[in-house]
Amino acid sequence: MPTTRLARALATLAGLTGLIVVAGCERPTGCSGEYCGTLVIASGGEPDILLPPVSEFAITRDVTDQLFLKLADLGLSGNTIGDEDFQPQLAERWEWDAPTTLVFHLDPRARWQDGHAVTSADVAFTYDAYTDSLVNSSARSTLRHIAAVTTRDSLTVVFRFRQRYPEMFYDAVYQLRILPAHLLREVPRNQWRSAAFGRAPVGDGPYRFVAWKAGESIELAADSTFFLGRPHLRRVIWRFTPDQFVAVTQLIAGDADGVEVLVTPDNVQRARADTQLATYPYKGSQYGYVGFNLAAPGDTTKPHPLFGDRDLRRALVMATDRERLLRNVLGEFAKVPPGPLSQLWWIWGPEIRELPYDSGQAARLLTRTGWTDSDGDGIRDKDGRPLAFRLLLPTTSAIRRQYARLLQEQFRIAGVDVQLDEVDFSLYNERARAGRFDALLNTWNTDATPSSGFPQTWTPAGFGRSNYGHYDNPEVDRLVDRAVASAANRDQARRAWRAAVETLNRDAPGIFLYATSNVAAIHKRVVDVTIRPDSWLALLRTWRIPADRLTDRDRVER
Amino acid sequence: MSVWTWLTLGGAAVLALAVVAELRRRLQTSAPGRRFFRHPTAALGLFVLAFFVAIALAAPVVAPYPPYYQIDIAHPNRPPSAQFLLGTDPFSRDVWSRLVYGARVSLGIGALATLVAVTVGTAVGAVSGYFRRWVDTTLMRLVDVGLAMPRIFVLLMAVALWEHIALWALVLLIGLTGWFGTSRLVRAEVLSLREREFVAAARALGAGAGRVIFRHVLPNAAAPIIVSGALGIGNMMLLEAGLSFLGLGVPSPAPSWGNMIADGWHRMAVAWWSSTFPGLAISLVVMALNAVGDALRDALDPRREAV
Amino acid sequence: MAAWLVRRLVASIAIVFAVVTITFFVVRLAHGTPCGPAGERPLPPDVCERQRVQFGYDQPLPVQYGKYLVALRHGELGESFGLHRPVADALADAIPNTFTLALAALLVDFALGLALGIYQAVRAGRFGDVAVGNVALLVNSMPVFWLGLVLLLVFAQWLRWFPAGGIHNPILCPRLASPYCLLDFLWHLVLPALTLGLVGAAGTARYQRAAMLEVIRQEYVRTARAKGLRERRVLLVHALRNALLPIITLFGLAFPFLFTGAVLIETVFAWPGMGRLAVNAIFQRDYPVVTGAAVLTTTMVVLGNLIADVLYAVVDPRIRVQRGGGDGGSA
Repeated sequence: MPTTRLARALATLAGLTGLIVVAGCERPTGCSGEYCGTLVIASGGEPDILLPPVSEFAITRDVTDQLFLKLADLGLSGNTIGDEDFQPQLAERWEWDAPTTLVFHLDPRARWQDGHAVTSADVAFTYDAYTDSLVNSSARSTLRHIAAVTTRDSLTVVFRFRQRYPEMFYDAVYQLRILPAHLLREVPRNQWRSAAFGRAPVGDGPYRFVAWKAGESIELAADSTFFLGRPHLRRVIWRFTPDQFVAVTQLIAGDADGVEVLVTPDNVQRARADTQLATYPYKGSQYGYVGFNLAAPGDTTKPHPLFGDRDLRRALVMATDRERLLRNVLGEFAKVPPGPLSQLWWIWGPEIRELPYDSGQAARLLTRTGWTDSDGDGIRDKDGRPLAFRLLLPTTSAIRRQYARLLQEQFRIAGVDVQLDEVDFSLYNERARAGRFDALLNTWNTDATPSSGFPQTWTPAGFGRSNYGHYDNPEVDRLVDRAVASAANRDQARRAWRAAVETLNRDAPGIFLYATSNVAAIHKRVVDVTIRPDSWLALLRTWRIPADRLTDRDRVER
Repeated sequence: MSVWTWLTLGGAAVLALAVVAELRRRLQTSAPGRRFFRHPTAALGLFVLAFFVAIALAAPVVAPYPPYYQIDIAHPNRPPSAQFLLGTDPFSRDVWSRLVYGARVSLGIGALATLVAVTVGTAVGAVSGYFRRWVDTTLMRLVDVGLAMPRIFVLLMAVALWEHIALWALVLLIGLTGWFGTSRLVRAEVLSLREREFVAAARALGAGAGRVIFRHVLPNAAAPIIVSGALGIGNMMLLEAGLSFLGLGVPSPAPSWGNMIADGWHRMAVAWWSSTFPGLAISLVVMALNAVGDALRDALDPRREAV
Repeated sequence: MAAWLVRRLVASIAIVFAVVTITFFVVRLAHGTPCGPAGERPLPPDVCERQRVQFGYDQPLPVQYGKYLVALRHGELGESFGLHRPVADALADAIPNTFTLALAALLVDFALGLALGIYQAVRAGRFGDVAVGNVALLVNSMPVFWLGLVLLLVFAQWLRWFPAGGIHNPILCPRLASPYCLLDFLWHLVLPALTLGLVGAAGTARYQRAAMLEVIRQEYVRTARAKGLRERRVLLVHALRNALLPIITLFGLAFPFLFTGAVLIETVFAWPGMGRLAVNAIFQRDYPVVTGAAVLTTTMVVLGNLIADVLYAVVDPRIRVQRGGGDGGSA
C-alpha cells in the first residue's frame, strides 16, 4: 500500500539525516594549551605584493611586519626622538661610535625561515635595495641622511650619517624591514614588483608565510622557534572583503575576530552592542582628503587646465563645509584636520591656520577669476568651458563613496559640476600613480612622526610615488627641512611645522576632510591586546587566547 | 509634505482611475477589449502604470523637495514621517521626491530601450521572414549568437571597455542587446502571414517589398510586437536596476530606482526605507507591466483559450 | 533525426566560434595586449615570456587570433593579472560553485512551481488560485538582487538563521572534507538558491497551471475519474506526465536567466562562482579572465540549449522546431 511505503521511505530519510547531523556534530579535537588560536582579521583591502620596499599599502605593512624584522622598533610611547624609547628587535644592542656613526650588534639567534642565519650582509643589502632608484621605494627620501651602511663582521652593521639630527635613529630603523640577501640578490631590481618572492616571502619574523589565495585570504603561522618569544596565537589569517562594511558585517556575524578600524558610528554602535566583541579606541593614524592634480592628467610638464589655478583651488576649499560632512559620515569618530595631518602626529593643534568655510567668499573668488554662470544652467563656465571635473575614488571605501556624493552636492551648489569615477582598487592605484585624474579622494596611513610621511606626500621627493598631485612649493620644502632638523627642540620644531602646514594650506593643493579616531574591535576571547597607534598589529605576538576560551576554529592545527 | 502635494497626489490617483475607466468603457465594444478586461489584474495593472506615469510627469509638483537636495546632512537617515513621506536616505535626501523623479528616469530608460529593441527586432524579423533564404539564415544566425551571450555580461563588458559611458549610450546598448527574442517572434508571424492572399494581392498589384511589409504584413503582426514590448519594458527596468546596483547604471546624483537601492543597501540594517521603497516601486511597476502584457497577449491572440 | 542533430551541433559550434572571435577582437582592439611594458600589475617575467611565445603578442592581429584558437583547443586561456594564476584554473574553481547554485535554484524553482501550479489548477477560479497567482506575479517581478538583500537582512542579520554570505566556513571547512562540511555548505547554499529559485518559481507556476488545466479538461481524465480512481492519483500520474514537456523548455530557457541572476546574486551573497569572477575581472580590467569567462558561459548556454532541444525532440518526436517565440524581448 502506498502509505506504508511512503512512511518507510520517510523514516529511512529521517534516519539518514539524523546520522549525518550526529556525525557532523563531532567536536574536532586538535590544539590545546597556551599556544593555540586562530585570529581572523577582516580587511577591506588586499596587499599588492608582500615585498616591503615596493608596496606602500597599509595592509601590506600589517602583514609584512609579522614576517620581517626591523633592527629596532618604536616603543609604546611613540617617541621618535633619540634612541632611548626603542625596543631591540633584530639588533640586540647598539652604540654610538661617533656623533654620526651608529653601530648595531645583531642578535645571533636570528634565523631566516629557511634556516640561514641573519647577517649584517642582509642589512647592507636591504639598505641598498631601499635606496635603489630601480626599486623606487617611497622610503627612499627618508633615508637620504644616511651616507653609507657597511658591515664590520657578520653580526655588526655600521650606519654613517651625513649630519646629526634628532630623529636619526628613527630614520635608520623604522623604515627598513630587513630582507634576505641570499634570496633576493639574484632578482633584477627592476623586476621586484613582480618577483615570485613577493607572493611567497621568506622572513625572519614571529610568523611565517603559509598561503596567499588572491582575492580571498593570506595565512600566516607562528614560528615556534622565534628567538624573541614564541607567539601565542598559532595562526593569523587576513580575509579580504569587497569593502570595510562587509568586513564589519563578517566580524559581527562571528566569521572574523578582528577589524582594524570600525570607521563609522553605526559600526561602532553595532560592535559595542555585540557581547562577543571588545572595542579598543586608539589614536588614528589616517587622514583623508581630496587631492587636486596640479599637473595635466598624464603629462606632468603642463599644469592642469583647472587646478593649475591657485585661486580656483582655494575657492573649492572654502566652498566645502567640512564639519557637517564629517558629522554625516564619521560622526564623533574623526576630526576635521587643520592640514594634511593625522591625529597621531604631535603637531596637531587648533592654532594652525587654514582656509575657512565661507561659501560667499568662495563664490566671489570664482566670479573674480572669470567663472560665471553665463548660460543659466547652474554650472559656472568661462570661455565656453564649463567648470567641471571628475573625482576619482576606489569602490572599496564606503567612507569615500559617501564623501564623494556629499561633495558632489556641495560643489553643485557652488556651481561646479563633479562626476564620479568609482573604480576598482587596483585600477584606482594605477591611475593615481600615473597621474591620470583631475582630483582624487585619497587616504594616507601616517607614520609616528611627520618627518617621514609629510615630505613623501607633499614635496618633490614624492614625485612618481606618493605625491600624486605633483605639489611643489620650495618654501614648504625649506620649512620642512628646518622642522626636521630642529626636532629635538619641540617649540622650534612646532613653529617650523606650523609654518610649513600653513603655507601649504594657503596653496590649497587639497581639501583635508577627516582624520580618524580609530576604534578597533577584537573578539573578547583574545586577551593581552595592546595596540600601538602607528601600527595596530605591531605587538600581535603578545596577544593570546587563554586555553579555556579556545573555540573550534582555534583548535584547528594544520 | 504640504497640502498642495497631497492634493496633486490624490489628483494623480484620480486621473489614473479615470484613464482606466475611460479605456474600459471604450474597449467594451470590441471583443479583444472585453477579453483584456476579463483579467482582474489587467485593470489594476493599468491603474498602477497610469498612476506612476502621472506622478512621473507631475514630478515637480508632487515632489516636495528637489531630488538632488541634501536637506540636513548632519542628520541623515530619518524614518518615514509626516514631513518625509518615505524618510530620508543616507545623504539626507527625501526618498519620496527621489522616487518620483526616479520614476522619470527608470520608466524613461525602460521605455526608450524597449523602443530601440522592438524597432530593431521588428525590422530584423520582418526582413528575415519576408525575404527568407540566405538573408533569413544569416540574420537568424546572428540572433542565435546574440541569444547565446548572457545580456548582463555583454553590458558589463561594454561599460568596462569604454572609460566613461554616457547615459544615452547606455540606453542604446541596453536596447541593442534585447531585440533578439522579438525578432524571432516577428519572423514567425511574418513567415505565416506572407503566404496569405492579401499579400499576394498586394504584390500582384506591383507593391514593392518595403510597402508590402509596412502596410500589409506588419499591421497584422502587431499583436506579438505589442505584447513583447509591454513585457520588455519590465525586463529593461530590471536590467537597469541590476546595472545600477553594480555601480554601472545611472550616475550619481541623478536618481533612478536602481541606484537608490544601491545607495541605501549598506544601511539596510538601520535605515531599511532607503532601499526598500525603490525596490517595491520596481516590483509593482514590473508586476503591472507583466499583468497588462499577459492580458494583452490573451486579448490580441484569438487562438488562445482564455484560462 | 540524426541529420537534424548534426545540423544543430554544427550550428552550436558555429555560435561558440563566433562569440570567441567577437570577444577576442573587441578586447584586443579596445585594450591591447597584457604583459605591456611597465604596467602597474605586471606578471612575473618568465610567465610573460611564456605568454609572448604562446599568444604571439608582438605579431599581427590575425596571427594572434590563430594562436589564441590553438591555445584554446589545448585549454590554455592565459594568466590572470588580478588572481596571479592561470585563467583556466580560476574558472575551474568557480564553475562548480555556480553549477551547484544553479542546480539548487532550479530544484527550488521546479518543485515550488510545480506544487503551486497544481494547487492553482485544482483551485482554478477560486480565491486560492487568485491569491497565489498575484503573489507569484509580484515575486516574479522583483529585482532578483533586491529580493536577495531583503532575505539577507531578514534571515541572516535579524534572525541569524543563515550565514550572511560566503560558501563555507573558511577555517573549519576549506574543503568538503566531512559530513559536517557538507552540511555547512548546504547551510550557506540556502539563501542564494532560495532567492534565485523563488523568482523563477513564480514563472514556472504560471506555466504549470496552464498545462495542468489543459490536462484536467481532457477526456481521458474524465474517463479515468469516471472509472472511480482517486482524484489525487489521477492528477499526479496523468498530469505530471504531461507537465514534463514544459519543464524541458524551461530548462533550456533557464540557462541565460540563471547566469544573469547568478551574477547579481553571487555579488550580494559573496558566492565565489563564475558570475562574481567575471564581474570582478571586468571591474579590474583583467582581460584574460573576461575573455575566458565569455567563452565559457557562451559554451554552457549553447550546450544547455542543445540538450534542451535534444530532450524535447526525444520526448515529442513531432517537434523539430527552432525554439521560436520566447518570452517577449527578454534574454
